[in-house]
Amino acid sequence: MGFAQILANGVVLGTLYACIAIGFSLVWGVLNVINMLHGSFIVLGGYLTYFAWAYTGISPVLILPVVAVLLFGLGYALQYLFINKVVSAPVLTTLTLTFGLDMILYNLMTVFFTATPRRVSMDFGRLEFWGVAMPVDRLIGMGLALLLTALLFVVLRTSRIGRAIVAVRMDREAAALMGIKVNHIYAVTFGIAALMAGAAGSVFAMVFPVTTNLSGVFLGKAFVICVIGGLGGVSGALAGGLALGIIESFAGVLVGPQNAITIGFVLMLVLLIVRPQGLVGVKGYE
Amino acid sequence: MAETILEIDGLEAGYGDVQVLWDVSLRVEAGAITCIVGSNGAGKTTLLRTISGLIAPRAGSIRLGGAEIGGAAPDAVLGAGVAHVPEGRRLFKGLSVRDNLMLGAYLRQDKAQVARDLDFVMETFPILRERAGQDATTMSGGEQQMCAIGRGIMSAPRLLMIDELSLGLAPRLVETLGEALMEVNRTGLTILLVEQDVMTALDLASQGFVIETGRVTMTGPSTVLAGDARIREAYMGL
Repeated sequence: MGFAQILANGVVLGTLYACIAIGFSLVWGVLNVINMLHGSFIVLGGYLTYFAWAYTGISPVLILPVVAVLLFGLGYALQYLFINKVVSAPVLTTLTLTFGLDMILYNLMTVFFTATPRRVSMDFGRLEFWGVAMPVDRLIGMGLALLLTALLFVVLRTSRIGRAIVAVRMDREAAALMGIKVNHIYAVTFGIAALMAGAAGSVFAMVFPVTTNLSGVFLGKAFVICVIGGLGGVSGALAGGLALGIIESFAGVLVGPQNAITIGFVLMLVLLIVRPQGLVGVKGYE
Repeated sequence: MAETILEIDGLEAGYGDVQVLWDVSLRVEAGAITCIVGSNGAGKTTLLRTISGLIAPRAGSIRLGGAEIGGAAPDAVLGAGVAHVPEGRRLFKGLSVRDNLMLGAYLRQDKAQVARDLDFVMETFPILRERAGQDATTMSGGEQQMCAIGRGIMSAPRLLMIDELSLGLAPRLVETLGEALMEVNRTGLTILLVEQDVMTALDLASQGFVIETGRVTMTGPSTVLAGDARIREAYMGL
């Protein structure tokens, strides 16, 4: 495989990774919660997309927004009803709570969907350019992932709710003095994170098979990406996602795919030592 | 006697097992500058935090223009017309001066009036117009205080509460800020000023309250308080 092909594979994987990590990074940065549910949200998004596609035949690109809205509702409710009760407790408390919620969601999915790997298979053929061959469904997945990432970036930057999220992240008490309902913003943030995870799951299911067993893998990836990229927001997740995607792609060819994950975690450890704020993270956010 | 805008009666508040405020009662006259003075730890900040809904009162009442706001959530208190400029400015890091000011108007829907108020704030504090695009937390202490006060004004409050106007600022800057506050006050905005710097506070205000260990111990026109022997001895070192 040529250099360009490996790089292109890495970039495609990287944009998917960015999409996976973005919600995790948002919740971590704004709520200071390590969301153990994140991987299962992605799997849920993937399964919902698969079953909706399998039973109705509707294009998964159209199913994605519906799945995203459903996941937003689920995320908002979980935060508002459960996590908000302990959100200012030490990080171990919220970690334990989301871990417990994840056990419930994970097992419910295994019961209702079974753990069979499922994939939306759309045969769009492949494109060849500059000596790189790329299946069209992957390119569509990459486009969707980038579109979602850009959309979130714009919402956070320019919308009223985006300003409120940033304000709550910086100083929740001062934000409350601005009339911002902090608990509502927490729930919206968690909802957006679940939305992005669900959408990422949708995209993922169009490109790779999804199974419940992947939830831990997704969670691990999100964690590594956040540490690599830094918790600076959308840009951190994008940088971290691309970095991990490209590194795994090259590592897969050079030392074998079975070692690619190890390389990712080693990189995370190295970065924690030499640059704890991440590649593009801002100091003070970590 | 002018109209009273804020009436507090028998207010008790605190944190956990620690009660800070004991039977606090006070009146703020509409259109005036009123000050609450007292030493560090007397409960001044706790009083403001209770008024703005950051902590819930344990007893007593807080009425704004006759309507009870005690125990209401911060957004409801702000919506009712009480803005709180917190101690230490608490500007939002990473956001520009303009974005910080606009967050003050978060609850408001009247876009045209918000734009006029933004203009008023920048007229009052011209440096904020110059620095509009700059990260607010990279400005000097005095400029940050201007931004924090401006952010409070942006909510179009009926009552503006300022916690520690002078903290950490050079005397000349405090004087500039004081003049700006008088100017803002002349537009009809009621101001409640909380200060450790008793001299500055009594200078600006027409009415004063002294708080010691969570209780109101003295009250009166600021000129009378400024002449009081006990105050001169305890707070001004005279």
